[in-house]
Amino acid sequence: MVPITYYLLLAAALFCMGMFGVLVRTNALVVFMCVELMLNAANLTFLAFARMHGDGIGHVSAFFVIAVAAAEAAIGLAIVIAVFRSRGTVNVDDIRTMKH
Amino acid sequence: MITPLAPYLPLAVVLLLAGLMAMAIPQLTTRLGPKRPSAIKSSPFEAGSESSGPARQRFAVKFYVVALLFIVFDVEAVFLYPWAVNFQALGWFGYVEMLVFAATLIVGLIYVWKKGALDWES
Amino acid sequence: MTLPNITLADFLPLLPALIMVVGASILLLSEVFLSSSASRGYQAVLTVATAVASGLTALGLMFEPPHAVFLGYGVLDPFSSFLTLVVCVGLALAALASVSFLRKRGAERGEFYALMLFASAGMSLLAMSAEFITLFVNLEVLSVATYALTAYLRRGTRPSEAGFKYFILGAFSSAVLLYGTALLYGATGTTKLADMAGPLSQALATAPALVYTGAILVAAGFAFKVAAVPFHMWTPDVYEGAPTPVTALMSAGVKAAAFAAMVRVFLTVGKGMDPHMPLALFSTLALLTMVVGNLLAIPQRNVKRMLAYSSIAHAGYLLLGVAALFVTAPGEHFRILGASALTGGTPLDVARSDALRGILYYLLAYTFSAVGAFALVSALERREDEDKGTAWDLERFSGLAQRRPGWAFAMTAFMLSLGGIPPTIGFMSKLLIFQSAIDVGLVGLTIVAVLSSAAGVYYYLRVVVYMFMRPVPEGAQTLERSWGTEVALVISTVAVVLLGIIPGRVSEWLAHAGTLFGQ
Repeated sequence: MVPITYYLLLAAALFCMGMFGVLVRTNALVVFMCVELMLNAANLTFLAFARMHGDGIGHVSAFFVIAVAAAEAAIGLAIVIAVFRSRGTVNVDDIRTMKH
Repeated sequence: MITPLAPYLPLAVVLLLAGLMAMAIPQLTTRLGPKRPSAIKSSPFEAGSESSGPARQRFAVKFYVVALLFIVFDVEAVFLYPWAVNFQALGWFGYVEMLVFAATLIVGLIYVWKKGALDWES
Repeated sequence: MTLPNITLADFLPLLPALIMVVGASILLLSEVFLSSSASRGYQAVLTVATAVASGLTALGLMFEPPHAVFLGYGVLDPFSSFLTLVVCVGLALAALASVSFLRKRGAERGEFYALMLFASAGMSLLAMSAEFITLFVNLEVLSVATYALTAYLRRGTRPSEAGFKYFILGAFSSAVLLYGTALLYGATGTTKLADMAGPLSQALATAPALVYTGAILVAAGFAFKVAAVPFHMWTPDVYEGAPTPVTALMSAGVKAAAFAAMVRVFLTVGKGMDPHMPLALFSTLALLTMVVGNLLAIPQRNVKRMLAYSSIAHAGYLLLGVAALFVTAPGEHFRILGASALTGGTPLDVARSDALRGILYYLLAYTFSAVGAFALVSALERREDEDKGTAWDLERFSGLAQRRPGWAFAMTAFMLSLGGIPPTIGFMSKLLIFQSAIDVGLVGLTIVAVLSSAAGVYYYLRVVVYMFMRPVPEGAQTLERSWGTEVALVISTVAVVLLGIIPGRVSEWLAHAGTLFGQ
């Protein structure tokens, strides 16, 4: 059996990759996928801990997170499409017209 | 030394071999095989017919709308499964709760339907 | 298998949110059966009616004794009910301001109001959540609805840009919060706030890194939502690009609900932790947020953007109140201002309850002043100027006192209130927060707060100077009146001035609302 720590490390690595990706990638869709990666890292952590504690809370949490992630994916893709239609690009560096 | 990952060692060997093969075989064929290019040979192959237009076509927005709706409604089914498994134990309370849940989804479905998001043709 | 013991009484506290969800469903379904030219005047009226009904229900629920519902997944206490009331006030005012805003742009649709109602239902439920997954789901209900509202207008490039930024950073912060939650679940084996404190103090001894990482990630997630420095970068762009009534709802409702959830999480879970950690965390955030928010607001000539930075500064004052909740040894000798010393209880309990009340009153005050100010901004802006970026320039306010004395008076009241000048509700609420912070001994931080709010007066009064001292610019646009905006302005002006002088019944409700379940 693979120890819990390995799952946790994998989840932490996924989370960090997602976080790093959100901060440095320029393609809006890739940024969006990185956010999903972070949510799934949280899911994996929930499931690993559920196995450690031997209860169902972590499993139930994962179900809810999946459902929420789907809703978020739908609205996020809709917004990315809206951005693409108004500007013809999904490059994050070009989506920056308001002054800072 | 026996680590918890020891049983996975054969799997790792197979993965490694598969990776090596995948890299080696295309290399070997491109290097060893004879090359006699001609105009017809290097044109893209499209089921035998004349190729037309670039491969990267824009999809209609309709495609995305249907895909988005599919994601949302598909994933909501995740809640039906645990309820169905525990149907007996949850009894009437669970039944009514699930009806409320389904009613909420139906409000969304009616909205989407009347809005015309499901009409593929128009 | 034993069934969970859930009765009909558990559903009673959900009533305000249920009313809003039903209202939203009616709006959605009625919209699709209307022809595109049909009159849609009823939609704003229905939204306001729903908000009023739901607010009155929340008011009734405020006098219920605090108790846990749904097996401890949620709680009903005066704190959450008062917050629902604040949300309903913000919703009603924002919906009134939307009428002419949407009509001018030909974008009057049921979906807009339905999304506003869904977001508000999420806010109300967020204030009641006492379990991390419930909290996360409600946070997402309100966030997803607000993302859609931000990108609602499809003309021009700004709304989709603002929507995209808000979505990416919002989703990012939700994911950070969720990962922190997962770590805390790992450390304690539960996601219910009330059950967490005990196992947490044990886990602190065995796996401190897990607990601290989890708590810091949760705090960072909340800091994004309340726009605390250094997690504030998204605020100005999103506030500027979003439709003005939506900005109003965001600045009032979203912030209020996120603050309520943050306070509940850290007060309940924080019992199992070293109290110095949340204190240090929130003091630092408060200090940075107050100072940076005010400094960034000063050079702004764009009034909508100025209000966005000012909302960051106000989050800072609120964070000062939150920090005051975590002081364990209040400075006894500083209780000069604390009139509530007479009411009994240990000084700590009294100070904590005062700070809770201060936060709630501040949220109410900010809702009236900021939503009123945004309503006026939306009345002055024109769609044609948005892409040029001049729609919200200070020049717009030049000579307003001659053209619309009523509007100028209202805006003056809002600016004075936001700046914390008597006799307004903003002054009273600021006093309450600063007083409770001094009571617990956060003197240095309070002095910074007073100084930075004095600096803030500069940019608020600049708007007043433009309205009263500058001549009307040549070729100025005509100012159209609309009943929705007028009603919103009258209500918020009356509330801002009147509640600043005679708090009346509100102070009674407030005295009640300083009770958090399980404290």
